[in-house]
This record gives sequence, C-alpha cells and structure tokens, in this order.
Amino acid sequence: MSARRVPRRAWVGLVLLVGLGLASWLAARVFPEALARTCPLGMDPTHPDRTVCELAFGGLWVSLAVGLAAGALSTLLGLGVAMAARAAGGTLEHQLLRVVDAVFALPDVLVVMVLQLAGQSMLDAGHAGGLGPFGLMVVSLALVGWAGPARMFRNRLASLEGQEFIAASRALGAGRWHLLRVHLWPALRPFVLAVFLSRLPTAILTESTVSFFGIARMEPMSLGRYLGTSYAALIYEGGSRVVLPAWGLLVLLVLGASLASQALGAGTRRV
Amino acid sequence: MSPALVRLGRQLVLVPIVAIASYFLMAALPLTTADDAKRQVAPEVLASYRRDLGLGQPFGFLRPWEKLFRGERLGTSAQGVTGDELLWKLSGSVGVGLVALVLALGWALAFALLRSRWKRGRLSLLGDALPAVAFGTPVFIPALLLAPAVVERGHLLPELSAALVISVWPGIFLGTLVADALETELARDYVRTARGKGLSPRAVLWRHVLPNVLPALLDAVGPVATALLAGSFAAERVFGLPYFGQLYVLAVLQKQVAVVVVATTVFASLLVVVGLVVELVRLLVDPRAREART
Repeated sequence: MSARRVPRRAWVGLVLLVGLGLASWLAARVFPEALARTCPLGMDPTHPDRTVCELAFGGLWVSLAVGLAAGALSTLLGLGVAMAARAAGGTLEHQLLRVVDAVFALPDVLVVMVLQLAGQSMLDAGHAGGLGPFGLMVVSLALVGWAGPARMFRNRLASLEGQEFIAASRALGAGRWHLLRVHLWPALRPFVLAVFLSRLPTAILTESTVSFFGIARMEPMSLGRYLGTSYAALIYEGGSRVVLPAWGLLVLLVLGASLASQALGAGTRRV
Repeated sequence: MSPALVRLGRQLVLVPIVAIASYFLMAALPLTTADDAKRQVAPEVLASYRRDLGLGQPFGFLRPWEKLFRGERLGTSAQGVTGDELLWKLSGSVGVGLVALVLALGWALAFALLRSRWKRGRLSLLGDALPAVAFGTPVFIPALLLAPAVVERGHLLPELSAALVISVWPGIFLGTLVADALETELARDYVRTARGKGLSPRAVLWRHVLPNVLPALLDAVGPVATALLAGSFAAERVFGLPYFGQLYVLAVLQKQVAVVVVATTVFASLLVVVGLVVELVRLLVDPRAREART
C-alpha cells in the first residue's frame, strides 16, 4: 500500500499509538527517575515507594507489549486457519468454520480466566515450557482471540478469489502459490494490518479485566493489574487521582488502535 | 431443515462441549500452589477431593451434574452452592443484565440520533470520540469511580449502579451500528421514492427504514449479551453483589471444579437461549428470514 492511499485518520491513529509507545518506553524504561521526581499526582496510596506516573506509564508499557504480542499471534493464527480452510475447501472448510464459530461464541474473559489458572498451575509445577506470566497471558489471549480474525480472513479470501483478475490469472495457468504471492497477499496485506490493529484493544481490555480480578500475575504490573491492586485505596481513600491517569492512557491507546484499524478497514472494504 | 434450526443445533452442540472441556481443564489443575507452606496436601483430603469430583472414574465428568440434580452442595468445601442458590444468583445477574440492556437501548437510540445530528455540524468529532472513550473503558473503571458513593456511603442502589456501568459499552456499540445502518438505509433509492410520493419523513422512517435496520441490530444481540454478562462479573465484584459473576470469579480462584463446570455450562446455555430468541424475533420481523425458511 502506498503512503498516499493511507487515510488521514489511520495516520492519526498510528501516530497516537507510536507516540504512546515511545512515551511509555522513555518514561518507564529510560528516564524512570525523572518521572518519579516530577510526577504532579504524588505517591500511590497502595505502593508508597512509587509515584502514580511511574505506575501508570509502567503499566501502559506492559499493556501495550501484551496487546501487540497477543494481537500479532492471534492474527497470525487466524490467517493460518483461514488459509488452511480455503486451501482444503469443501467439507473440511465447513468443519473448520464450525470450530471457528464455536470458539468465537465463547466469552473471552471467562476462558482467559480458566486458561490463566491452568497455565499458572503448570508454571508452578515447572511444566510451562519457559513461559513466564507475560508469555502465559499472550498465549491465553491468542488462544481465545484467533477465531474472529480467522472468520474475517476466510471471508476476505473467498471474496478475493471470486474476482475477475484471479479467474483470468487461473485461466492463464497460475498455480496456487503464484496466486497467493502475486495477487492475494498484496490485496490482503492492508486488511491484515487493520485486523491486527482491531485485536490490539480487545487483547488489552481482556488482559486488564482478568488482571483486575487478581487472577493474572502480570509482573511488572499492567494497567489492569495496577488498577486491581489499587482497589481498596480507591474505595476507602477516595483515590480517583490514581484511576484517572491510567484510564486516560488506556482510552488513548484504544482510540489510536481503533482509528487506525477503522480507517484501514474502510479503505480495504471495496474488495 | 430451516437455517435457523441448523444454526440453533450447532449452538446446542456447543453446550456439552463447553461442559466437558471446562471439567477436564479444571480437574487437571493441581490442588497446591507455588507457596511451599501449602505444598503438602493430606492424602485423605486429596482422595476425598478426587472422589467428590469423580476424578479417575468412568463418566466422572457427570459427577457435578449428579450432585446438582440430587440437591447436594456443589464444591468441595462449605463455600459451594446448591442448585437453588445457583439459580437465585443467576436470576440476580440476569436481572441486572436486563436492566442494563434497557439502559443500553436508551443509550443506543440517543447516541444514534445525536450522531446523525452532529454529522452535519462542528461536533462531528464527538461522534468518533465517544465510541473510543466507551470502547477504551473497561467496566471496572467507572465501577471503581462510582464505588465510594455506592459501597461506602450507600447513596445509590448497587444493582442499579452495576446496570448503569455495564450498559455504557453495549449502548454505544449498538448506537454506532444503528447510526451506520440508518445512514446507509436513508441513502437508498426506496427512501427517495417514498419521499417523492409524498410520504412524511416520520412515516418513511417508521414504516420503511427502521424495519430494515432491525436485522443489523439483531445480529449484534449475541455479542451484546456476552458483553453484558461478562461486564456484570466485574461490576458485581466492585459493588460486592453476591450474584453469578461474583460466584464464578471466586469459584475459579478457589478451584471449585463442580461450580465452575456448572456455571460455565449455564452461561453457555444462556447464550444459546439468547440465540434462539434472536432467531425467533428475526423470523417475526425480517421477511427475508421467513423466505429462507420456506
């Protein structure tokens, strides 16, 4: 996709995402002391050694990393399943789509809760295959999040394969691999990016909710776990100053991903 | 066979799969945690736990259901629940969810009307910003902000507050769908023809446009029902409501296998019921669905 074709809203979203990523990386990783000294919101009531800014920006960095990794993994899984379904065709494709529908119908938060618990038990028993809390969360989110992308990619591939230029290429003797490499993948690429960006907020919000329940052991703390551990202070010490910065960062993150995803998705909807 | 029945059949198959999968996943969890102090579990406790859950027995996965139908307490400790208590808790959550659904429909209508008005003016940016704020806000954040007034000072009803915070995301989601569908339908030829024949804008909207928007709204009911019930889990936890969501989270944390299995299956069955109701409503309101059936 050329730079001129990318809608302005998508650029705004992408710039917002990259800006937040850079800000959280600089604040939480490169200059944490400067952030601790200059934070206008003071210390956190439940973590007396840390400022609200340190915890919010540190949490943003972790949430963003979880969202990016889980979004990428679920998009890749979905793409793989969609391509396998299209390549198989017939009854096998229909059966694969039934499995996709069944996974898609399950509520994300519930399944991630149970997967987290199972994964942590494996982690405790030393059978997690080198996965830490971060990897465990990414795998759990990807395991529940691949069905939506798989359905979307399969439908998009089916529409693309019905286009005249594909029929012409087939008539000229093009093989499956040639069609995929030369025609299908370039047409699918912006859509893949749009789907990946749409998975980002879902993964971040699901992770936040599961961490808030105290089921996930995200360390360092994500935004959700940070808010979850501040629960008592929020209720009994009137600490809305603790919630508002973390909430604002979460909203900006989702706004950036939604703007970019919707703009890119609208740009590819003509297929 | 009608496509609606085929779809329902596929959904019904999901229920026993969810029940069996949740049983084996929960039963595979060890009783112990990483904490060394808790590492040792007495053999008789372990044997009682395994017997109670039917672990290692043929058809052991039916054990939670046997206990449920005999009226025994689900769970391996005094914290378990009976079927009646489970039903009471479920009715509490469903009640909160229904109030939230009514509120969400109100939000949806208001947002769709406002967005169509904002589209022509300087406030068009708000039409994009509001969904971003709603979608970027997990239910527990507004719940936490309301909690001091509700829990500590008792200013508001906890159930109503929970319904209010749960309704925001589904309301704006439905509102966005309605606004988009309205915009598409209003630009169609039949609307211009109806107006050209002298029908009032109100008559065109109610008689022609809204019936065409309704199927798009029905498609969103499934995800909205899931969001309402999943949202109620977080809201019930913050406001301390002793219903289904609170029970589920505690059962997962305490590894109460039987409670998790039964609660997960009930949740999946509830979604199937929602799917059935949606299909019935679709048959009533959408002539295309009736034609496909015949």
